[in-house]
Amino acid sequence: MISLNRFSSTECHRLCHQVVDGLCGRDPPGRDPPAVLDHGGDAWSLGEWRELTQGLASLFRHTAGDDCSDEEVLAGLRDVSPGHGEAVLSVLRARREEIRQGLLQRTHLTSSSTLQDFDWQLKLALSSDKMSSLQTPLLTLRLDVREEGRLRPVAIEMSRDELHTLISSLEAANKVVLQLK
Amino acid sequence: MLINEFGCLRKGDKSVLVKNLRVPDENAQLDASKLLYHIASSINARLANAYTAAGADETLVIFDCYNDEPSAKDHERRRRAGVGATEYKLTLNTPLPGREAVMKSTSNKTQLLRLLCTYDLPADKILLVNHMDCIVKHEEADIISYMLEAARGTHHTEVAEDVQSVKQFTSELIVEAVVRCVRVINPAMGGGLSPLLPPGMSARFRVGMSLAQACQDLGYKGEIGYQTFLYSNEPEIRSLLMFLVEKLPRESAEASDQPAGKSAVLQRAIAAQIKAQLALPWLPPNCRLPLLCKTQSAGPSLSFRAQPLSLPYSTKSTGKTPPREVMEYRRDVLLPVTAQPSHQGAMVASLLQQHTAELSAAQEWDSEWNSQGLLSRLTPEEYRSRKLTRLHKRIKEQLRSASSDPSQESSSGVSGSSSDLAQLLLSFQGSAPGDHLLPKGTHFTHTQKFTFTQDPGVLVQQMAAVASSMPLGGKSEGEVQASQQEELASLEEKLQQVALHIDQLTDHMKQMNLTVAQVTNELKDRELGNQEKAGTRLVKKQTVDLLPDAENNLAKLQMLVEGSAQRVVSLASQWEKHRTPLIEEHRRLKELCTNQDMESSRQLSEIKELHEKIRESAEKAKKKETLYKQLIAELENLPKDVSRSAYTLRILEIVGNIKKQKEEITKILSDTKELQKEINNLTGKLDRTFAVTDELVFKDAKKDESVRKSYKYLAALHENCNQLIQTIEDTGTILREIRDLEEQIETENGNKTVANLERILEDYKAIREENIALASKVREG
Repeated sequence: MISLNRFSSTECHRLCHQVVDGLCGRDPPGRDPPAVLDHGGDAWSLGEWRELTQGLASLFRHTAGDDCSDEEVLAGLRDVSPGHGEAVLSVLRARREEIRQGLLQRTHLTSSSTLQDFDWQLKLALSSDKMSSLQTPLLTLRLDVREEGRLRPVAIEMSRDELHTLISSLEAANKVVLQLK
Repeated sequence: MLINEFGCLRKGDKSVLVKNLRVPDENAQLDASKLLYHIASSINARLANAYTAAGADETLVIFDCYNDEPSAKDHERRRRAGVGATEYKLTLNTPLPGREAVMKSTSNKTQLLRLLCTYDLPADKILLVNHMDCIVKHEEADIISYMLEAARGTHHTEVAEDVQSVKQFTSELIVEAVVRCVRVINPAMGGGLSPLLPPGMSARFRVGMSLAQACQDLGYKGEIGYQTFLYSNEPEIRSLLMFLVEKLPRESAEASDQPAGKSAVLQRAIAAQIKAQLALPWLPPNCRLPLLCKTQSAGPSLSFRAQPLSLPYSTKSTGKTPPREVMEYRRDVLLPVTAQPSHQGAMVASLLQQHTAELSAAQEWDSEWNSQGLLSRLTPEEYRSRKLTRLHKRIKEQLRSASSDPSQESSSGVSGSSSDLAQLLLSFQGSAPGDHLLPKGTHFTHTQKFTFTQDPGVLVQQMAAVASSMPLGGKSEGEVQASQQEELASLEEKLQQVALHIDQLTDHMKQMNLTVAQVTNELKDRELGNQEKAGTRLVKKQTVDLLPDAENNLAKLQMLVEGSAQRVVSLASQWEKHRTPLIEEHRRLKELCTNQDMESSRQLSEIKELHEKIRESAEKAKKKETLYKQLIAELENLPKDVSRSAYTLRILEIVGNIKKQKEEITKILSDTKELQKEINNLTGKLDRTFAVTDELVFKDAKKDESVRKSYKYLAALHENCNQLIQTIEDTGTILREIRDLEEQIETENGNKTVANLERILEDYKAIREENIALASKVREG
């Protein structure tokens, strides 16, 4: 964490916001350390950079998740210069609620594979190789399933009846969820 | 007209019928006009192929006969005949002018048919029947086709061979046709009817009755009874069959074969577009013109990937202004929404997702509040907090039950197995999620993480401390090293000692703390005991003070007791006085409260009803709006000028005709009146002249013999003339009667009366025989 001192205060501010962005599901700071040489003249090593970003991320997670007071946060940052600590603290204050929402989102994904996105297309099959006029609507459902950290696309094509069965089973599932509430 | 490739007749309802009747494919019939719809290019090239492709043993091609008489297909023909259908002059080698142009103009169609009929087809297989030779009309051909199909569907092949018009239908054929039609129209109703006529006469009668009933149930308005089927006459059967054919289901047919309306236009447009695109050659991507790029490149295939967005209003601040840092963040750091997603494609998806999530949440809350929240009579905040606590409690119970009883598989059904839940709990304690998912590892991994994340700081501190305490000097390296080694060893020793000391001290401290707590507890107990004892001592001291003057003190005490008792009584009565109105007040308020409760619940239910009504009427309004729009669009699409002017013209024509007829009728009427008047005049004149001559001649007759004779002649002449007039009148009436009778005979002839009568007689005999047989059976039995 002490390596945070190698940044200027505004840079530190920006970096912290980027880390929080990563926690909320957007782009985290890149894997490669910044190429510019800092004030001391030393280049960033990969390990240092990783340690710093991950340390910051875990700091934000703990403090926002456990609702820590400012003193506790500063205690975690005691080896950082006061200006930088203040910067981290201000970022935390500004985005506490957002981090909380992000953590909650993550807690929702308790099963081993979760639905990330879905998309559908309605197609009208005009004819086939056997029939000159088919006029059958088809629904292509695309599911992006996140399975152990990787995205796995699943595509299903359904006719009207199959779609009906899918919808009815989904509705039954929704009913169970509503009962739990 | 047999081509088995299509196996269908002209309209979609025919194909439906054919399917329902399960007609075998060989030798099925095809209407040639349908074929016209499928010929696109030059007549020469395609026609022979089209016909011979049938491959049936014998092909009979029959064309419609286009008469000028009115026909049931007129509306169809008029529909097809659009505006501006130009007439062509067709020869064998002209390219066909396009299907629409041919089908929309009757004259083009007849020309084409004529051409086709003169065309030289392989004669051994195909027999062309010129439309001029057709003896049946279009719709009749339909009916006959049904009959033939129906007959082929069963095993009555021999029946159908020489049927050419409705006149030649037998009762069996009629019954079968009607039953099959009824079955197609209404399967439930037709299920109980048998398509075969039973041999027994009484049974036939019953079948006829039930069939007639079924037809009436379907809405047939004409006269119908068992005689319609058993002793048929042509007009009745024709009208009945036409009615049934009209009733045949045809929705699917309308959709597939007779495109009309918006969807059909759209489909045709799509088909044309696809055809045009298929006709273009494929080009490699570099050679494409910009026009082709649109249709031939794969197109932007963006998948739907949403990312969470950060919006200034999305963090719920409850009315008060957000803290300064938040404002600064929003002002300085937060990117605009369009720049937030990592790639441009995700922007729309993310926005859509965000919006849908918020909208659905709002809707859900709305519906829940309307259904349950209003009934609970809480403010929204209270309701929310109550629900939150309930859910918390519930989740806690679930987790506790799952974690405390790991052997038992989760009965709650919320999550997978209980061991998973235990791990979940552990991970909550750690609250250190991994890269993307909650880690499902053991406690060990978490402790590992803790050490990794926290130790470096401590280590660095220690290192710094060591570094600062290092002596700096100009000693030689070996000395330095040795001294450092020594120092290190001594320091380590020291460190160990110090650590030991610290451990001991902490142990000691713990013990001391424990004893301190014990002692303080003891102290508290003692103090409490002391206070109690002081209280008892005070009481005892007072009693001891009172002891010497016991008598007096007793009396005083008694007085005091009595006084206080009296006071209690008076106070009680006073209390009672106050109490009763208070109780009444309480009761009244209670009643008021219940009344208000009831009122409020009533109002609540009213509000709910109103909500429902509002929703319903909103839906209705929406529906009506869409209907209105649709109708407006339809109205715009309707060809206004054509139909209206045509109809008005026709109406005017009809009105003119009627006027003409009326004039003629009045003319004839006035003629007859004049004639009648003349006749009356003449008869009056005749009577008068006769009377005058009679008188004159009678006077003279007395004087003269010859005049008497002439008088006799006069009388005879008068009589004869009267007779003559009478006969003429009689002939007129007889002529009229004859005409009437002739008409009647014609109609009766149309009804096949003689044949039917003979059949009735035969059937009557059959019934009598059956009856006799039955009677004999009864007697024998």
